[in-house]
Amino acid sequence: MKNFTISFLGRDCPGVVAAVSRTIGESGCNITQLSQTILSGEFAAIYIVQAPDSLDPEALRRALAVALEAEHMDMSVLVRPATDSAWGEGEVCQPFVVTADGPDHPGEIAAMSRVFARHNVNIESLKAVLGEGGSNHALFVFEVMVPDRVDLGRLRRELIKEGGMHNLRVGVQHRDIFEAMHRIGSV
Amino acid sequence: MLSEREVISTLNMLRTEHLDVRTVTLGVSLFDCVSHDIELFIANVKDKILRHAAQLVRVCDEVGDKYGIPVVNKRISVSPIAVVAAPFGPAGMVRVCRALDDCAKEAGVDFLGGFSALVEKGFANGDRALIEALPEALTTTDRICSSINVASSRSGINMDAVALMGEQILKVAEASADRGGIGCAKLVVFANIPQDVPFAAGAYLGVGEPDVVINVGVSGPGVVKKAIDRALGAGVNAKGQPLTLLDIAEVIKRTAYKVTRVGEMIGTEVAHRLNLPFGVADLSLAPTPAVGDSVGEIFQSVGLSSIGAPGTTAVLAMLNDAVKKGGAFASSSVGGLSGAFIPVSEDSSIEAAATSGLLSLEKLEAMTSVCSVGLDMIAIPGDTSATTIAGIIADEMAIGMINHKTTAVRIIPVPGKGVGEEVSFGGLLGKAAIIPVPRGDASDFIRLGGRIPAPIHSLKN
Repeated sequence: MKNFTISFLGRDCPGVVAAVSRTIGESGCNITQLSQTILSGEFAAIYIVQAPDSLDPEALRRALAVALEAEHMDMSVLVRPATDSAWGEGEVCQPFVVTADGPDHPGEIAAMSRVFARHNVNIESLKAVLGEGGSNHALFVFEVMVPDRVDLGRLRRELIKEGGMHNLRVGVQHRDIFEAMHRIGSV
Repeated sequence: MLSEREVISTLNMLRTEHLDVRTVTLGVSLFDCVSHDIELFIANVKDKILRHAAQLVRVCDEVGDKYGIPVVNKRISVSPIAVVAAPFGPAGMVRVCRALDDCAKEAGVDFLGGFSALVEKGFANGDRALIEALPEALTTTDRICSSINVASSRSGINMDAVALMGEQILKVAEASADRGGIGCAKLVVFANIPQDVPFAAGAYLGVGEPDVVINVGVSGPGVVKKAIDRALGAGVNAKGQPLTLLDIAEVIKRTAYKVTRVGEMIGTEVAHRLNLPFGVADLSLAPTPAVGDSVGEIFQSVGLSSIGAPGTTAVLAMLNDAVKKGGAFASSSVGGLSGAFIPVSEDSSIEAAATSGLLSLEKLEAMTSVCSVGLDMIAIPGDTSATTIAGIIADEMAIGMINHKTTAVRIIPVPGKGVGEEVSFGGLLGKAAIIPVPRGDASDFIRLGGRIPAPIHSLKN
């Protein structure tokens, strides 16, 4: 057996997951992990599947494309062999939440994420909340993994400086504080 | 992944609702420092306190930075000095107090508590020496706080101590007359003092406590107020039904849970980094003079024209109880005072109500029967007699004794000033208008002395 990564992107409508999952099953594959989201009516999903050795990625992609087209679903499909290792394996990291908010302008996410890249900090989740604090207000929430070897004070200073250049107020907090306040964890 | 609500809610609490950890307090037992030689005793005390406190401020700041939650105050509490320095007379007690002040300054903490005596059943020599030393000790030091426990539900009220404290409070005020009697802001008379209070001015480390321990005081009146405002703004509860006080109590409870979780998390990490045990989270609503960080404003949010209006005691009872319930679920190590504080000068809304006459000393006394502390930071005329002050203390101690709760008196007779005049203590201690004390004369009652016996329900064994 081997692992494939399959991604889907297209217009959301009822039946997308059913069509995709049925075809994956009919191709002899087993879904081992998946994540999906909907944004402004657009559907995006990423599946990790275990596939028979005889199945090649292009054959699986064709089967999925045909199935989606038969259901009149406007969806792009990409299949590729899954990578064996994830970023950060062997690296001791701490989860932090970085928030940046202020007037919405192009280039803000690029500016903030450049700082993360420079410090080898991986962004695991990024959300933009628009309009919460006024019509042109944007709040960006970066959930990042910060390697222990990174100088947290320096990272914080650079993020605040970069955010300040875009009139963004930046906060850097360990993720545990959000968990502690809002969730009842296991004992 | 966190939800948008979780992130936005936390940011709002921090930025506009004054969420913080009000104090991380390092408790240090001084029992192993005792000596009949005062030089040796002071050297031992300094060595032990500074050995353990050296990293306190730095670690608190680092942990605060990590979680993005400021630790506003770092403090130290020590064993009751009247016990550990019992061989010394009043002059020796003053020297010890100054040595503690030096320690507080060197460690970078804003207050050190524990210049204290426990006299609910009677005086020992050290107790008398410490109480006699109070005027000089509290006015020649900057950061030392004193607490005198004169009553308990088990032992009754030591009325000799009550009478003595009436006199000493006046002497402390007189000794600090040039600063509005500020020495009295660092002196609290207690009934049923808890052994693990992290908040000044009542902080001390009880005899049953660990050798060295970290206790945390969380706060958050602004967070509670905003949560109530949001709920009332919505007008309906989670089920879409019209909002009632039951829903508001639930909002307070849940908010207290969140605030306490923050305090416990930061406290346990500070303790871990200092390689010390974590003691308690004291989940009191402690205001500051800043607008939006007020316990008094909560009363307006719930629909009273002001704190002091009819209904005030009922609201305070609900608030105090809901805070305890939320906090108790958030932490298995709840201790200290844990409830709502109503320090008049330290809370802009309470101060305004007292100044305008909406909140009298009598009403404040009634409120203390349902909240966690007592008559706190109240400025009274400087010419108030010692027996009147003692009578006020006795009444407050009786509330604590009968109701099995902590009560306290931190009252400031402002030298040279009368009703309606204002006194400013600066910083967290705030400002207050001087309010009248109850009329009538308690002097013959106070002069009787002796002890008011413990109530019948003290016989629990």
